[in-house]
Amino acid sequence: MKFGNILKKELRELLTVQTILSMLVVFFVYAFMGKAMGGAINDAVTSGESMTVINLDGSDFTARMLDSLPDYGFTPQISELESENYFTEMERLGTESMIVIPAGFGESAQKGGGAEVEVYTLMNKGGFGSALTGSHAFSGVYAIESYVSDSFQNDVLGLSEEEKAYLSEPVVTAEYVCANGRTENISAESLMSVMMSQSILAPAAVFFLLMMAAQMLMTAISTEKIDKTLETLLSAPVSRLTVLCAKMTAALAVALLNAGFMIGGMMIYMSSMMSSAMSDISASGEAGEAITAAEAAASLGLTLTAGETAVYGLMIFLSIAIGLAISLILGAMATDIKSVQTLLTPVMMLTMVPFLVTVLTDINALPTAFRVILYLIPFTHTYTAMTNLVFGNTGLVWAGVAYQLLFFAVCMYLAVKVFTSDLLFTMSFSVNSPKKKSKSTRNKGLQTEDREQ
Amino acid sequence: MNEILRVEELSKSYKKGKKAVDSLSFSVHEGEIFALIGPNGAGKTTTIRMIATLITPTSGDAFVDGHSIIREADKVRSAITYLPDEAGAYKTMKGIDYLYFMAGLFCKTSEETERCVSRAVKMCGLGDRLEERINGYSRGMIRKLLLSRAVMTRPKLAILDEATSGLDVINALDIRKTIKQLSKEEGMSFLLSSHNMLEIEYVSDRVGIMNRGNLMVTGSVEELKSRYSAANLEEVFERVVNSDEIR
Repeated sequence: MKFGNILKKELRELLTVQTILSMLVVFFVYAFMGKAMGGAINDAVTSGESMTVINLDGSDFTARMLDSLPDYGFTPQISELESENYFTEMERLGTESMIVIPAGFGESAQKGGGAEVEVYTLMNKGGFGSALTGSHAFSGVYAIESYVSDSFQNDVLGLSEEEKAYLSEPVVTAEYVCANGRTENISAESLMSVMMSQSILAPAAVFFLLMMAAQMLMTAISTEKIDKTLETLLSAPVSRLTVLCAKMTAALAVALLNAGFMIGGMMIYMSSMMSSAMSDISASGEAGEAITAAEAAASLGLTLTAGETAVYGLMIFLSIAIGLAISLILGAMATDIKSVQTLLTPVMMLTMVPFLVTVLTDINALPTAFRVILYLIPFTHTYTAMTNLVFGNTGLVWAGVAYQLLFFAVCMYLAVKVFTSDLLFTMSFSVNSPKKKSKSTRNKGLQTEDREQ
Repeated sequence: MNEILRVEELSKSYKKGKKAVDSLSFSVHEGEIFALIGPNGAGKTTTIRMIATLITPTSGDAFVDGHSIIREADKVRSAITYLPDEAGAYKTMKGIDYLYFMAGLFCKTSEETERCVSRAVKMCGLGDRLEERINGYSRGMIRKLLLSRAVMTRPKLAILDEATSGLDVINALDIRKTIKQLSKEEGMSFLLSSHNMLEIEYVSDRVGIMNRGNLMVTGSVEELKSRYSAANLEEVFERVVNSDEIR
């Protein structure tokens, strides 16, 4: 009953209107960003189907070509230049990229060599969109290439339809992915979306969960200590272990909720981004793919089995438990809000560094010294667990579980020791100069506000 | 009168060889208000924290209603309430919810909880403000809420560290009157700590003056004034601390 009473109080303290609002804001920001970015990619891809073309070549060949380009999936917007300053011309025409067909293009193309088109890209914005702008023109260039190639084959070489078909695709690529001793007829790009969720989303979920839980428990403990509500609470007839368990449970529950919102938003963001990117990839054609990416991933053993999922869940639980135990010890040392922020830094570093390394590179490919240092951080094992499990590095995973269990036992022993002993009230970490304090305690004034030991 | 608190040779060392409290012995009887006074660093808060079972003594023991603070800490906690100096309350809670939360830790049945809370509601005099979040309370309101919380369960011993610190005259007077009333009418015992000599003189039945971890002298205010030929408790305090002599 007392546990429930304290747990309810902790949850009420952690789940304020502000925290719930911040969870919803994070969720909607991610979801909105995903939709907006996905839309931007689609716009970028579709805008490539129609583009400004400046024809500086007066030949009949070029005129016929421009008339025929819609048959090749590209509609040119023919415009005239008013000056030779392409920057101002593109701004005047309201286009971000344009194709210029120079004089002599038709003659060169008909001769069978040296035909050149110019592609101009306006760089006047930052972010993801600017990277896509330059690629718009290439669907137009591809259409021009196809027309010139077809004309040459028809008019100059006089090839039959079969010969032309052969030349258009002389080699058919059948892509296969080999993993875990098995092979599937799928391109590596197609598998990307499945693998992204394993190599980025899963560690990101663990990272956010760890950060939230650690920060919440540390703030909860230190606030109670600073406000002296902890002294009041622990002088009541309730065991310290009950208070400890209630605080840890509440921090874990709210962290799960918080991470749920964040990961939900991230999943919407990633799926919007990936579906746009993947539709682009599939549009370019993957020859002979018979199964979906998800089916291929399952067939190649690149998804977790029920047993592996249980192991992964255990590792997440152990990581959070370790994070909570460390936060509890550090939170008990805080004497003011400044010291809470300072004490949070090592926890942040321990969770963030292995997370970033996991996402940006393969830890197992790093030099041994770095690998050992990273694996000494217990959270690293959870970040790499998903990849290690799907690629059959089970020895490394089990060693990680054993190490995390040992680390948790030590941390929990220390946390319980701190919480059930004088240390909870006597140990302190302050970012203020200790000189000030020692000077003030020497005063023997009757009405001073200084705290005595 | 029954002995509610008996302190026997209680000591606490934080660092090797340096005693924050050195072999302290005193007792508090039923319905008595006993005040511990002393300069900063004298060991008052350490003594109070040991009796409140928050920290463990290095040697010696103390008994609350016959229960050892070392061996029967849980029984001691059921018999006492503790109000730390400059203590706060959970700011996101409403005043009334705070009272229910704390009562829930002491009381075994919901009827008992209701009785305790209604007593605290009556005593704190905050009226409708109890339905507001503690966040918006003044320092005086918080102190009144905390004091009513400390006495709502009718503890055998209420330990109050600087009960009126930072309060205006009216609020401080209110709290002093409440303490005296609870002691005389309900037989509740109090262990107080304060730097305010006027307050101690007004409210206490007996006083213990501490210096450098030692209990230098104990007695009623009148006894001490006559023993030290002093006009008031402040003068007694000054002479005791300056002479550094245990009597």
